[in-house]
Amino acid sequence: MTHLTRRNLLRTAGAVSAGALLAPSMLGAPLFVPERKTQRVVLIAMAGGVRTRETFGMPDNVPNLVAMAKEGVLYPKLRTSNLGHFGATMSIFTGLAEARGIRENARGPDPTIFEYLRKDLGLDKGDVWVTTSGGAQQVNYSYGLHPEYGPQYGANILDGDGIFNREFEELLERWGKPKAADPEEQKILERLRRGMGKGDAVKDAEQQARVEEYILNELTRGTSDIRGAAAGDRKALRLARNLMSIFKPKMLGVVLQNADIAHSSYNGYVEVVRQNDAAIGELMAAIREDEELATTTAVFVCPEFGRDADLNARRGLDHGDGSDDLRTVGCAAWGPDFKQGATVTADHKTIDLTTTICELMGAKAKLAKGGRLSGLYS
Amino acid sequence: MVIGPPQPKNPVLGLRPQDEPTVVPDAALVRPMSVGDLRAVSMDLLGRPPFANELEPWIGKSRDAYVEHLLGTEAFWRHWWSEQLYYFMLIDTFRPRTDDVNEVPIKLAEGRLTVRDALHRIALTPTFDLRNPGADTFVTVVMEQYCGMVVQDAARELEIGKSAYDGNETRFLGQPAENQADVVRNCVEHKSATRHFTAREYERLTGMAPDKKDLIRWSRDLHKRPHAYVTLFAEWMRSTHYDERLVRRRPKSNRLFARALHVDLLDRLPTEDETESMRNALDGLGDPRPLRSLFARLILDSSKAPVPKKKDIPDPTLWVGAQYRRLLGREATQDELRTFVTAFHEPACRPETLLYAILSHAEYQTY
Ligand SMILES: [Zn+2]
Repeated sequence: MTHLTRRNLLRTAGAVSAGALLAPSMLGAPLFVPERKTQRVVLIAMAGGVRTRETFGMPDNVPNLVAMAKEGVLYPKLRTSNLGHFGATMSIFTGLAEARGIRENARGPDPTIFEYLRKDLGLDKGDVWVTTSGGAQQVNYSYGLHPEYGPQYGANILDGDGIFNREFEELLERWGKPKAADPEEQKILERLRRGMGKGDAVKDAEQQARVEEYILNELTRGTSDIRGAAAGDRKALRLARNLMSIFKPKMLGVVLQNADIAHSSYNGYVEVVRQNDAAIGELMAAIREDEELATTTAVFVCPEFGRDADLNARRGLDHGDGSDDLRTVGCAAWGPDFKQGATVTADHKTIDLTTTICELMGAKAKLAKGGRLSGLYS
Repeated sequence: MVIGPPQPKNPVLGLRPQDEPTVVPDAALVRPMSVGDLRAVSMDLLGRPPFANELEPWIGKSRDAYVEHLLGTEAFWRHWWSEQLYYFMLIDTFRPRTDDVNEVPIKLAEGRLTVRDALHRIALTPTFDLRNPGADTFVTVVMEQYCGMVVQDAARELEIGKSAYDGNETRFLGQPAENQADVVRNCVEHKSATRHFTAREYERLTGMAPDKKDLIRWSRDLHKRPHAYVTLFAEWMRSTHYDERLVRRRPKSNRLFARALHVDLLDRLPTEDETESMRNALDGLGDPRPLRSLFARLILDSSKAPVPKKKDIPDPTLWVGAQYRRLLGREATQDELRTFVTAFHEPACRPETLLYAILSHAEYQTY
């Protein structure tokens, strides 16, 4: 369904009680929205600190990203927010460069791109996913605490390394695989849930059961067996690929972070960059091979910031020197509505992604401070 | 790992070990505990619900006596310590495993370490260094995590700290510093570190920010006498904010959920590895409830949980009521009893089905 028709439909349906049916941001929206082919977006935050020197500066490291850029638009110098990995990655998803503690494990005050899309487009939780690469902090990307948005518009978040690992498999082995649910017993459970507390747990339970089933199935697809360099990132990208094929979500965020091994090893870092490119290649192949996905999916790949210009004493690369290598990154955009083979050097920031993607999908990032990426559309 | 009822007292508080709860004469301080209160206090202080044999001696007794019984015990400090490690994100591969670190709760219980000493040790562990590599990250994290500073507003101090980390002689946070250890010490001993610690501990316990004046008073006292932490904690447990917290209920953290599920179903604590692999998996989901339900199902279906057979439950109403009390800390309503007992009599319903309905319900996710 195009945005134009979706809106018209909503307007017609909501003619009697528009206020109740339409999200506030839609009421003020312009009547005409350009007809676009894009119906879903994959946003890969190539976080962990990745310099352009090792990506587009060394095309052999990233053949898949280079191919993407050739068929799409390359922004070689997006300005970043120097806020630590967590804050800078969060800023890509909120469109706001606000300070967040590096190890802060809490929801932020600002709505995320996932909340904007779910609220404005009326998307189901199953339409919006994020896969991450390791660590408790990562689940905070799902939603913020803004009173107009928040958990009811949050994304499903799956952490590849946290769930699909040996320890989790061992846990399942220790207790034994769960028995298949008996349909009669299932009906009883539904009745029990309806009869408990306020009885609002039934729909919730259905949603949960779907995720539960997906996780159990995913365990048989070999994601847990991924080991070695960039294992966490590769799991996040593998999950993204599988989710894309199974659920065809409208919005899929992927957060990588293994590149941060660069603090102690430059060579290790380059290997992570290469592995990530290969895994992005697998995801792109899955999108290209699926007729529906190939013609309706836009993909953005962007680091949260770069790294220092010079090696540290351990022959690694930290991030904190304020250099151009740290403060600007290369971003590739690929999709059915975008130019092909363009390079845009106009002054833009990584926080522009939220506003740009929301607009592309027909939503409005009301509180984001970023602008729109220019030179994107064909 | 402490399994079983809590250990005797910490000498720091000057309290006698006691097996039986005492009744405090001051009426205002006597707060007879419901089973829900008992569960909440136990989970807040020890990170687990009460074991079966702890219920009867304490239900209806005073909250203050119970708090006094638990505060400062090794079990209390073990929970405190794991909460601190989690705060600093020293979990999973970054969890410090040296003997020295494992003994911290014992030393706290024996009064041989203060909370400040313990926090200081965290930043000196090799895994903290691994977790926070490089001058910029390391100094930023100690400034943020210990002192609660926003480094973007303290850019100059950050640069000074980084210079000290790299071995240059400087004055960082007002004290001389010339290496990484000095950076840590200056942060840990800074007044702002005590204030930040006090505020986050108060929030951890009550779910509310402390009143500004109280915070100033508490952190000033604690800065002078870091041994007095348990006394302060006891004061918080008597506060109206804590009363409100009991009414409001709080969400269980993933770690708490893993431990509570084991105690509630198996009447034992999980091992540290069991807890951590469960917590780690739960932390991997933005909304952990599907996995929490899955874990409940796994344990219930494993036949390791001592769930009675249907034929061994002579009075289902009584049994259902007991499960509500035991797992949710409240009485079942008449409607709930009716729904559950009706279901009980259906052939496809097992006692496990009823328990699963409770354990996978939103209410069990709070305490
Ligand atoms: Zn880093």
